[in-house]
Amino acid sequence: MDEQALILDAQNGDLDAFNTLILHYQDSVFNTALRILGDDDLAADATQDAFISAFKSINSFRGGSFKAWLMRTVTNACYDELRRQKRRPTTPLEPDTDDGEEMDSPRWLADPSMTPDQKAEADELEHAIQHCLNNLPVEFKTVVVMADLQGMDYTEVAVAARVPLGTIKSRLARARLRLRECLQGFEELLPSVFRLEEESTA
Amino acid sequence: MKQRDLELLSSYLDGQLSPSDTSRLESRLLIEPELRSVLSDLRSARSMLRQLPMRKAPRNFRLTPKMVGKNPPLPRVYPAFRLTSVLATVMLFLTMGLNLVRPTLATASPGFGMGGGGAPDTFAAEAAPTEAPAAALEAPAATEAPAEESSIASAPMATETISGQEDSARIVDTPVAKEGETQNAIGGGVEQEPPQAPASDTPLVPAVWQWSLAGIALLSGLVMLFMRQISVNYWRNRK
Repeated sequence: MDEQALILDAQNGDLDAFNTLILHYQDSVFNTALRILGDDDLAADATQDAFISAFKSINSFRGGSFKAWLMRTVTNACYDELRRQKRRPTTPLEPDTDDGEEMDSPRWLADPSMTPDQKAEADELEHAIQHCLNNLPVEFKTVVVMADLQGMDYTEVAVAARVPLGTIKSRLARARLRLRECLQGFEELLPSVFRLEEESTA
Repeated sequence: MKQRDLELLSSYLDGQLSPSDTSRLESRLLIEPELRSVLSDLRSARSMLRQLPMRKAPRNFRLTPKMVGKNPPLPRVYPAFRLTSVLATVMLFLTMGLNLVRPTLATASPGFGMGGGGAPDTFAAEAAPTEAPAAALEAPAATEAPAEESSIASAPMATETISGQEDSARIVDTPVAKEGETQNAIGGGVEQEPPQAPASDTPLVPAVWQWSLAGIALLSGLVMLFMRQISVNYWRNRK
């Protein structure tokens, strides 16, 4: 994929070229939104909004990392969504079990590649991490998601978050420490993961 | 733990420290267990985050022209047809309005819009009794002088003089007329206009004009629709 050529075409109004870029980045953008917002549907909406906004303002892209530029757009869409939620708080609807209790997460049922135990464990891990991410301030969450989940370097994160490099370093360090403290509460729940980590650091 | 040390450890984990900072931190790590402990925590947190599964996008986020408010390119003559259609429609309604309003105006004020025939006559008849004596005195002099000159003057002048004489004669006739006739003129001003009454039934704008305007508006609209349809089809097929 010739990214620069596609960007140029998109800047000239070629929607097909931009759609090719979307196909390439949609998983990354969706996952960023998902980890910032912690909800599939909201993340999907934010992703769609981000791509629409990105196409409309593609002429403001002046080179550099396109991924960082896209991430800035999606984080803006997430901030908008979070502001909307603050104004109109809603209660998420989880499907109920037969006993009438809320099902923790129905998503693992759709994943055919793991055994039920593995699915449950992975789901619990994901839930624990997402829970800890949700407890972070949104500025910390954005930085840690881009650096550790998306594997972006500090410069790209600084461009995407529009803050100086020093602020990125500071936020990332504090976010990691807070996450570690939060995840210690799930140590019993996730012993294998922590054991592996202890072995690797020993 | 100092904030500065925390940042150093986090950056060290990502390989973002300069070689000199790296060697300095590594020598400190050998002798400071607290630093090692925090480094382990940071590494653990980072490792946990990296274990998060990358989810596949739940749907395709491709954009459609509608989403971004893009319209198919229309032919250059399209605005001309749009303008024609709008103008024809506006004019059609305007003429319809005029034709509707005209009879109402005619009945409300007989003198208005009737070619100016009614009102001046009535006015002349009403004004006649008061101005009559003065006009009657001046009239003979006025009629004699132009009559003498007319034999010497050129033809157009003569015509004017004759018409002047007629006007003067009309003014002179009015006071001569009997009082009863004057009253008839006042009271029967409207009644004396039956020949003009059928004119109010004829529309101001002929129907043929209205039909033409309606036809132009409709035709332009159809052409616009046709152009738009062709453009949309062409645009879809191109994609």
